[in-house]
Parts: sequence; structure tokens; C-alpha cells
Amino acid sequence: MKSGRDAILSLNQEQMVIAISAVLFVLFSILLDGFFRISNLLSLLQSVSILGILAIGMAVVVIGRGIDLTMVAVMVFSTGWSFTLFAGGMQVEVALLLGLLLAVAFGAINGFLIAYVEIPAIFATLAMATVISGLGRFALVSSENIFISGDVGWFASLGAGAIAAVPMPVLLFLVISCIAFVALRLTRYGAFVYAIGDNPLASRNSGMPIRPMTVLMYSLASLVAFCAGLIMAMTVSSVNTKLASSTMVYDIILVVVIGGIGLAGGKGSIRNVISGTVLIGLLLNGLTIMNVDYSAQNIIKSLILLLAIIVDSLLNPRDEQTAQQGDI
Amino acid sequence: METSKLIEMRSATKEYRGVAAVKKVDFTLMSGEVHALLGENGAGKSTLTKIMAGVTQLTEGEMLLDGRPVTFMTPGEALSNGVAMVFQETSLVPSMTVAQNLFLGEEKLFNRLRGIYISAQQFMQSLNFQVNPWADVATLGAAQKQMVEIARAVRQNARVIIFDEPTATLTPEEKRHFFALIKDLRQRGVSVIFISHALEEALSIADRITVLRDGELVVSDTVDKFDREKIVQAMVGRTLSDDLYHSHGEDTVRRPGRKILSVQNLSMSRVVKNTSFSVYGGQVTGIFGLIGSGRTEAAKVISGIYKRDFFHGGEVKLDNKPIRYRTPRPAVQDGIVYVTEDRKVEGFYESMSIADNIHRAAQAANVSSSVFVSYSEIKEMAQEWTKKLNIRAINSNARVIELSGGNQQKVVIARSLVQKPKVIFFDEPTRGVDVGAISEIHHLINTLAEEGIAVVVISSYLPEIMNISDRILVCRAGRIVEEFTPEDATEERIMYAAVH
Repeated sequence: MKSGRDAILSLNQEQMVIAISAVLFVLFSILLDGFFRISNLLSLLQSVSILGILAIGMAVVVIGRGIDLTMVAVMVFSTGWSFTLFAGGMQVEVALLLGLLLAVAFGAINGFLIAYVEIPAIFATLAMATVISGLGRFALVSSENIFISGDVGWFASLGAGAIAAVPMPVLLFLVISCIAFVALRLTRYGAFVYAIGDNPLASRNSGMPIRPMTVLMYSLASLVAFCAGLIMAMTVSSVNTKLASSTMVYDIILVVVIGGIGLAGGKGSIRNVISGTVLIGLLLNGLTIMNVDYSAQNIIKSLILLLAIIVDSLLNPRDEQTAQQGDI
Repeated sequence: METSKLIEMRSATKEYRGVAAVKKVDFTLMSGEVHALLGENGAGKSTLTKIMAGVTQLTEGEMLLDGRPVTFMTPGEALSNGVAMVFQETSLVPSMTVAQNLFLGEEKLFNRLRGIYISAQQFMQSLNFQVNPWADVATLGAAQKQMVEIARAVRQNARVIIFDEPTATLTPEEKRHFFALIKDLRQRGVSVIFISHALEEALSIADRITVLRDGELVVSDTVDKFDREKIVQAMVGRTLSDDLYHSHGEDTVRRPGRKILSVQNLSMSRVVKNTSFSVYGGQVTGIFGLIGSGRTEAAKVISGIYKRDFFHGGEVKLDNKPIRYRTPRPAVQDGIVYVTEDRKVEGFYESMSIADNIHRAAQAANVSSSVFVSYSEIKEMAQEWTKKLNIRAINSNARVIELSGGNQQKVVIARSLVQKPKVIFFDEPTRGVDVGAISEIHHLINTLAEEGIAVVVISSYLPEIMNISDRILVCRAGRIVEEFTPEDATEERIMYAAVH
């Protein structure tokens, strides 16, 4: 009993995720008709690449011991505003630039509330998500669904194109992954993100600019959300603002947590995001082929999120001392 | 008085991550005795008592209560078997009244407050405790809090009460009262274990004394077999701690160099009150003060971790330029660093390697300023500092959390030194550090002073302050109240200044 538990715990979470993914992949390939086909596997990747991109933004924030619940709201209302302006006759580049600036501004406000007003990240971004949605519906977009008609120039290729049969969104997911990997692992700012996530007090005492860094982190997450929104808009030729009230933000957290980025901060890397994305993609694709209906899929996803968080708190306990002794 | 064995530990061993905190200890507590547990920091006293109180469990060996083998999984289980522990940081709820705390955990579904106040008052009177049951615990002094804790333990029919450093925060007046309480408990047939650093206390009040060193039991005997000399010898494992704590007497006191830091009327809320002092380069300024005297807070204000009062907050000058920091970042860049007393909470990154820990601090201070991280620089920096400070680890990729207390402390110090400080505050630099590392750290502090850095050492351990300082400042109730030169400083005079 004990040795079994130790054996499981001795695997790190990334290895577990890869093992589970492999098992699922083999199972689905054997059991499900039409799973093991190039076209299906590519559409599998395409369907989760937006989620994967969003998860990269979330990962940066979570590694810095935060969480950003505004990502989906920022995504749909910044791009929604851009395309509303575009529909009103504005030049597409200008419209997108304004949307991008709006997204970064939302992120900066999140960061300001968390770093300077010192509101816990989960409450600040929860409130900001409703503020952004409300403001968006009231002032930024005219209808729930903004259809993109007219020529958006080369931006169209962000959603539709493919290179060597690999769809553009998948490629962009990989490109953004690479950029994020370099930023986190090879730059001083990335080093600061890990440091702040591991021990904010020690970081502050040793003279790191933790407040500006926090603002930067949330601004980046919003920037990534804008990019994801743009790619999604180009894929489906519309922006669906109803997503802001969906459970999508929990899917992002699911990908991040299941990939093995500890919610306690300071741990994990972009590799974890990729493996988490692949696992969730496999799962959703398999469930879709099996014709599991949408609400049942939601239940399964939510149960997996719960399980992932339990595993996370076992693997990354809040405190060394309490983990050794059990809570008193 | 009948003397039977109440608690017996047989070859008790407790390991944390493969490191033994307590090694094969045979410990016996007789009923109705006062038993002092002595030893240096990290000797295993706290661990041993935590096992008895059910906070943690034995890895090997066994514990007998009344001759029956027992294992307490929780403090609650220990308590129901009559073993209560009064922790260093009290376990009372500060926002509740004394009576509510007394009956904590026994509330009925419909809790009648009036009833518990009456029975609390009766109970306190029966113990001769002068504590108002209606008072909020937050408003009580340290000694009164202890009375409440003791009352709670007695009320729960504890046969053994364990105190972890009960007298550290008490004034002499309160101490006398506390000792009277202990004698009273003994008369009621309650056994008492108390952990202490104060040898005189142990000699005056205990029936038996046990000395631990590095997790092992060195000696355990009745009090008449001991004197101060013998205890110290048992604690440090050699005749007196001469080479540790009195070496300074031989070399000359360093003269003050340039005045680097001058503090005038510094104030921060109610903790630091209008305090003034100066720090000079090239010597060690020792600040002695009891816990809560505002010494740590003053250092943290100067190094930007706390903000001083906006109005009438006083003035701090670095090299004759007035400074006021809102965050530690500008302080670090100006060369003021603070080495924390609580390294686990605010000193290092536990999931990172030694190398990353040190390099992160260098980055924070812009010592290594390129945007891209150079892995060879990290490696060189780690090699340089592990060698300089003699940090012992398997390699510099070892995680800091896996190191011993002394090596952890060295990493924290390296993190500060890499930032090229002009002024460095060491807050309790040898807390939770093994004996060998203590002398290494003291040696390092002396070297830093000789290099011309203004070094401030804050400590509540008198021998440390007396040994290492070229000037001794005493802090009490939020301000520096007295200054001594090493020649006219005696333990008694310093302590007198610190408590009165």
C-alpha cells in the first residue's frame, strides 16, 4: 500500500501526464474508429491549440504565484472590439492595434490591483472579469456574435492557412510556446517570475522589482489572450462573446494544472503546458468521437480538474513542515 | 512523593528526510518532577517534546506512558492521555476572551457565554491566577498568556505539561511568577518538562536535567549533580565554549571607521519609537534586544522592507545623504542589505538549487545585468561562493531545502554578499545553525568588518553579541537605550539594560 503510493508519487507529474496520454492514445487508437487518422489527429491538435495558447499566458501568471480569471473575457472583448471597429470602416491594422492596446491595458489594471492595491489575484481577476464583460457588452461590441466580413488582408492566414499540412493555429501555438520558453528560461525577467512564485518575500527582500514584474506578468497574459482571440477569430471568421460567460477559463486552468504547473507557484515550465494541452486534446477528441454529449463532457472535465488539483496539492504541498507532519 | 516512571522513551529516533533530529534517545520522566531539557539550537529538544505531545511521531524506537507503549498521532490524542504542550508561539486565539480560550474546543451546541465566564473565573481563582476572564487574549502580556495556557492544560487534566522556552519573552518579574506556578503545578502532582536556554533557571527550579547535543542524549541526572560549568560542557561537548564565544577578548577592538549610516528619531507605528544610532564602517555593531524590542523592525525599516512613519518618521542618512525607501529594491541598489532571521520564510527559494538562489540575488541587485541568463555565469558564481563560505553540499545543484541549517544560512548570507553591500544587517545570524557553522559565520562576519563593510549583528543571544561586537547597542521597547564598549559590557549589565 505504502510502497505503491510512494511509487506513484516518485513519478513527477510531467511523466505521469505523458504516461496517461500514451495510454489514452493507444486505447483510443485500438477502440475508436477514425481516431488514428492523420486528419483526425491534426484536427485534434487544431481544436486545442487556442486553449494551449491561452494556457501559456496562464502558465506565466501561475508560475509567478498568481491566477488570471479574466483571460477569456479579455480575449473576446478585445478582439470583438477590434472587429466591431473594423466593421465600422476602420483600417484593420489600426483596429487590431487598438484591440491589442485595450487587452494590455486590462492586463495592466489586473496587475495594478494585485501588486499595488494588494488584492489577492483570484478575487481581483474574478471581479475584473465581470467588469470587462459588462463594459464589453455595454460599450465595446454591438452584438453577441461579431461576424468578420470584408478583407482582413494577411491576417486571414493566421487562422486558415497551413504549412506542410500542419494547420496555422497549431504552428502558432508552437511558435508562442518557443517564445515563452525562451522568455521564462533564458531571460532575467523569466528568472524573476520563478523567483517571485517560489518566495515573494525573499524576492522582495533581495531587491527584485516585484510590483512592476506583477504588472508585466498580467499584461503579458492579456497580450497572449488577445493573440489567441485573433487566431480564433480568423479560424471561425467571427468572435463569439458568449464565450466570456462559458466555463472556458476553467479549461485553461485545467490544462495548466494537469500539465504539472503547481498552483503554489515557482514550478513547471512551458513543456508542462504542451503535455497538458495534448492530454486534454486527446481526451476531448476521444469523447467527441464516442458521441459523449456536451454536458457529460463538462462533468468529465470538471472531475479531472478536481483530481488534478488534488494531485497538485499532494505533489506541491503548501509548506514543507505541514507536509511532513500533516495538518495539526 | 511516589516516583514512578510516567513517560519513558526507548532509543527514540526521529528523522526528517533522512536526517536524524533525534538519535536513539532514552529519556525518562518521573511523575511529579520538574525536568529541564537543555541543549543548543538544533540539539533536538523541540523534536523530542513534539513527539511526546503528538505533534510528530517517532521514526524508530518506542514511547511508554505508564509502562504502556503509545503513539500519539495528534496533539489532541496526547492531550486526552494527559500530555499537554505549551508552544513557543502561543496557541491561543488572540481575538477571543480568556474564558473562551479556556473552553476552546468544548463549546456546546448552544454556547452560554455567561456560564463559561463564571466557571472560568472560579477556575482561575482556584489556581490563584490573576487574569480577568473577560479580557481579550490579545491585550494580555506574555506571562498572563502563559497562565491561560497553563490553566487550559490543568483544566484538561494534564499530568504532563511541556513548556518550550517559556521564559524567553518574560520580564524578571513575570519569570518569578512563572516559577511559582511551576512549583504549584509540582505540588499538584503534575510533571513538567521545560526547554530552556537559561541555565540558571534550570539549576534553580528543575529536579532533573537532561542535556541533548546534536540529537543525542549526553547526560541526564538529578539537579544536584550539575553546575553551570558542567552543563555548558555537556551542551557544547568541550570545556566551555571558549574558542567559540570568547576568542574576541584577545584581538583588539576595531576602531570605528567612516560613519556610514546615521539614524535619527526613527519611528514606525508602535514598534520602533524615536530611536537614534549610527553605524560605522569597518567594525561590527551589535544590537542586543529581547524579542519584541523592535530591533528587527528597525533594521527592516532601514533596509526598505518596512516603511517608517510618514509624519515624524525620523531621518536616516547613508553617507550623509538622506534616504527613504518604499521597497527594498533601492536599498539593495544603494548597498544596504538585510540577512533575515527567518530564512525559510523570507530568505531563500526552497525549490531552487544553491546556484540559482545565489544568482537570483545577483540579478535582483543588477550585479549581473544582461537580459539573457548566462548559465556559465550561474555556475561560476555558485562555485565562487560555495568555496568562499565553505557551503557543504553534494554539488551546487542541490536544493537549498535539503541542506543543514548552517549551510542554508550560508546560502542566505551568500545571497546578500553577492549584492556587494556597504551596510549589512545580520538578524540572528546563527539561529538554528550547528555549532561548527556558528564559528565559521562569526569568522566571516569579522572578515567582512575588516574589509571595511559596516556590519550590524542583531542577536538575542548574549555570548554571541559579547563575542562578536566592537560596540554593543541595547534595544528595549522600540528604541536603542544604551551603548557599551566591549570592555565595560558584562552579561548582567546588558541584560539589565534590555529588560528595565
